[in-house]
Amino acid sequence: MAIRSTRWLAVAASLSLVVAACAGAASPAPQSEAPGTSAAPSPAPVASPEGPPTYATWEEVLAAASGTTVNWFMWGGSDVINENVDNDIGKPLKEQFNVTLNRVPINDTADAVNQVLNESAAGVKTGGSIDLIWINGENFRTLKEANLLYGPWAEDLPNAIYVPWGDGAIDFDFGTPVEGYESPWGHAQFVFEYDSAVVSEPPTTFEALQEWIHANPGQFTYPAIPDFIGSVFVRHLFYWAAGGPEPFLGAFDQAVFDQYAPKVWDYLNDIEPDLWREGTTYPQGPAMSDLLANKEVAFNMAYAPGNASLQISQGVYPESIRTFVMESGTLSNNNYVAIPFNAANPAGAMVLANLILSPELQLAMADPDRWGWEIPTDPATWPADAQQQLASFKRGVATLSAEELAAAALPEPRAEWVTKMEAGWIENVLEK
Amino acid sequence: MTTSADLGPSPGPQVVPARSLPRPQPTVRRLAGHLRIPLMLSPSVLLVVVLFGGGMLVGIGQSFGYFPTIGLEEWTFEHYANVLSDPAFLRSLWVTFRIAFIVTALSSVIAVGLALILRETFAGSRITKFIFQIPLPVPHLVAASGFVLLITQSGIIARVAAGFGLIDRPSDFPILVFDQAGVAITLTFLWKEVPFIGVVVLAVLQSIGPHYEEIARTLGATAWQRFVHVLLPLIMPGVISTSIIVFAFTFANYEIPLLLGVRSPTTLPVLAFYRYQDPDLGLRPEAMAISVILAIVSVALLFVYRRLARYAVQ
Amino acid sequence: MTHIGVVAIVLSVGLPLLALVIWSFAFRWTFPDLLPSEWGGSAWTYTFGPNSRVVEGLWNSLVIGLVVTALAIAVGLPAGRALGLSDFRGKTLVEWLLLMPIIVPPIVATMGIHITFIRLGLAGTYLGVSLVHLIPTIPYFVLIMASVFSNYGVELEETARTLGANRRQVFLRVMLPAIMPGIVVASMFTFLISWSQYVTTLLIGSGRIITLPLVLFPVISGGNQANAAAISLVFVAPAIIVLILSSRKLSQDSAIMGGFGRL
Repeated sequence: MAIRSTRWLAVAASLSLVVAACAGAASPAPQSEAPGTSAAPSPAPVASPEGPPTYATWEEVLAAASGTTVNWFMWGGSDVINENVDNDIGKPLKEQFNVTLNRVPINDTADAVNQVLNESAAGVKTGGSIDLIWINGENFRTLKEANLLYGPWAEDLPNAIYVPWGDGAIDFDFGTPVEGYESPWGHAQFVFEYDSAVVSEPPTTFEALQEWIHANPGQFTYPAIPDFIGSVFVRHLFYWAAGGPEPFLGAFDQAVFDQYAPKVWDYLNDIEPDLWREGTTYPQGPAMSDLLANKEVAFNMAYAPGNASLQISQGVYPESIRTFVMESGTLSNNNYVAIPFNAANPAGAMVLANLILSPELQLAMADPDRWGWEIPTDPATWPADAQQQLASFKRGVATLSAEELAAAALPEPRAEWVTKMEAGWIENVLEK
Repeated sequence: MTTSADLGPSPGPQVVPARSLPRPQPTVRRLAGHLRIPLMLSPSVLLVVVLFGGGMLVGIGQSFGYFPTIGLEEWTFEHYANVLSDPAFLRSLWVTFRIAFIVTALSSVIAVGLALILRETFAGSRITKFIFQIPLPVPHLVAASGFVLLITQSGIIARVAAGFGLIDRPSDFPILVFDQAGVAITLTFLWKEVPFIGVVVLAVLQSIGPHYEEIARTLGATAWQRFVHVLLPLIMPGVISTSIIVFAFTFANYEIPLLLGVRSPTTLPVLAFYRYQDPDLGLRPEAMAISVILAIVSVALLFVYRRLARYAVQ
Repeated sequence: MTHIGVVAIVLSVGLPLLALVIWSFAFRWTFPDLLPSEWGGSAWTYTFGPNSRVVEGLWNSLVIGLVVTALAIAVGLPAGRALGLSDFRGKTLVEWLLLMPIIVPPIVATMGIHITFIRLGLAGTYLGVSLVHLIPTIPYFVLIMASVFSNYGVELEETARTLGANRRQVFLRVMLPAIMPGIVVASMFTFLISWSQYVTTLLIGSGRIITLPLVLFPVISGGNQANAAAISLVFVAPAIIVLILSSRKLSQDSAIMGGFGRL
């Protein structure tokens, strides 16, 4: 256990009970104060030979972090994110906490997973090379189940008071209980992007989309699985087939899968001949932006409601691109950061994860002119002036309102469902 | 600027006597001591065998189900069986072979053809020869993105075509990227591998000089006969060894078909890569099994090719 | 015939690179516009700005590439000489063993190599990254040097020795000048292979050592064509300088590549 908070077990137990009892229903965050402040004073950090150091109080974490470097492995494909992370996170981290950020740009989260896995295989139990990973739900599950994560720590961060812990949307990452092994840093929601110069009235039901595709052959496609976005599109169809996300939130059930899957495959095989390239192939995810920008297709999809506005301001998209979500709702989840079990500098990583959750930084992330992200914290818990500032932001030109998005949010299925859906698509749509 | 090379005899230090044509078998030289050769070879061989070969053992172990890091410790052929019984496997093997074969054959032929042109001296031959070599240092991934920008249905060439009124919409342009035939994949590999083989062939041609051909000409040989009976036997050893490297490389490469190919049927290295990157670590053994099969097939094909090619040369 | 060949070479080499150059200055450029509707230098500002880590990557790639080249010469030169000058039992086996890193898909070996390097304390060090780059360069370096040595008149050494030259003098005055062009060519391949390594650099460098491919490859998958084009060009430029420096050797000293490995 990373932070020996005396109340931790009780908190975890009550949390899981609450969550089990009313999945999804908001409950008051159990923490009424920063946990570190109430913990009994205890000796200096212990660097055990079996694992990374642990800390008793937040002050100890701060002291241990001061003067260190945090190696943060994160996807490095976006110049905007790279710049924002360096400027908005790296600089205050150095100035306020004397912690240096080493942002390591990677191509795929799997690269970071491999690093941790190989170090584990080589017996590196402490002093590992990764302190923090920007991680997705499936890889979180992989590392957590393999006992390759440090923690729990996330709910003990002082700024965890701004996070709606206890809400199912935060407590579960693709159905995997978070249990304090990762801390949120952004909120994401799936939206369709379309060219309003081509499509005047976007189809907001899957039936309408199907009709549109048949009426406009060649103008729609979705990325090939295992692309993340392609996988989301297929999940979205499963929700449509089942009339909602509920059947897929629990443990995998083959009978339930078999009940809904044929409807999804029928839908996808029905539209296939009228897809881009007559469905003979499906594009790689990143190629989709070019297809939309060049009017090869009229739609794209993004797991970031602000993406379209950003791409317009970056000169990638024409100015006519807009977004919409399905009437029946849309998938949403949170971006998290996790600390590997053998991190050399878990203290620095926690300081960083805590900084991200501060209202000041969350404001920067919500600012459409800076990050243009959705945020995982609850603004209602912020100081009044920060709330006012948030309210004063104008949304990006192609970004839906926060209210509209919040109303449409649906949880992600559990990770094992995702695996089956992806394999099913390959078997029944791609290779049929 | 030392952009290019002279034709004819080298003005630099005359390192290589004119008589030292590529010989079919190197002469046995006298070297002091029996241990000398093993000592000279061992640093290179040990680096490859210990570091790479040793590393391979971990992967091969995983292909047989031994992956203690995730708790798999039972040796099994199950993953090989799974892979081999996957209907996509044989199709992908065929696609992999087809691409590697076409790339190797085409790049060898084009490289020899261009080398024959480039060995002549003409206005601009120096700079042309330099341009010919430019793709050598360009990474495959960069070459691939250049081709994407150029030849997709909305790429630069399509835009030029639209400018001339040849096409109205991107879909009017021929499908060259993400296509079933693998045009973009083949083009990118050719762009990289033609200069690789070409540089070697060019070097041989220049070391031969015009002497043999002149003799053949006086004996009444036609241009084609001179090429087949005089030049070809001399350049074949270089072509064989470079084409072996090209085939092995193309056969095992996943980046280019991943970036430029259709999703299905794709190549075996791409299938292995998808399994390798999957968050489900339980798929790793299959990724390894595919890769091991790939390597075995590659060695077998190259072995046969080398035999056949040598036989043909002799 | 010659003209067609020249035009084909210039166009096929030039067009993909030209596409990258134009795109690196494009701000908004969509079908069917022949040229970008808006131009901009933002891709270049980003590339050479502090957040892209391009400059740092450039420097690291350069240092590591040079170290790898030096190591390859030290390790590969004797092996090339042995393979090029002598016939011995097991020679074919040695040649196939050396080809292993090209034939076997890298994913089979990366985890094992990483574990070995961690145990040797080489992970996260420049030496470690250089050593791991050395592995795929060995086949190219040794096989090129083997072909160079197979055309090398070793009698000269004996002559020099009978004239009273010691070993050092034979090495420096006879062998080195004779094989220098070959070393340049083999070194160029070595440097360029090191220049393009991604997976092994990330693993063995452990995020402490950022090289150019680590910066470039994620950007290529990132969807911003202008940035990808600009960083690609930065990636290619120094490599082309290396080519310029070695191209004289590459096609001038004809017999260098003559028997390339003779596998």
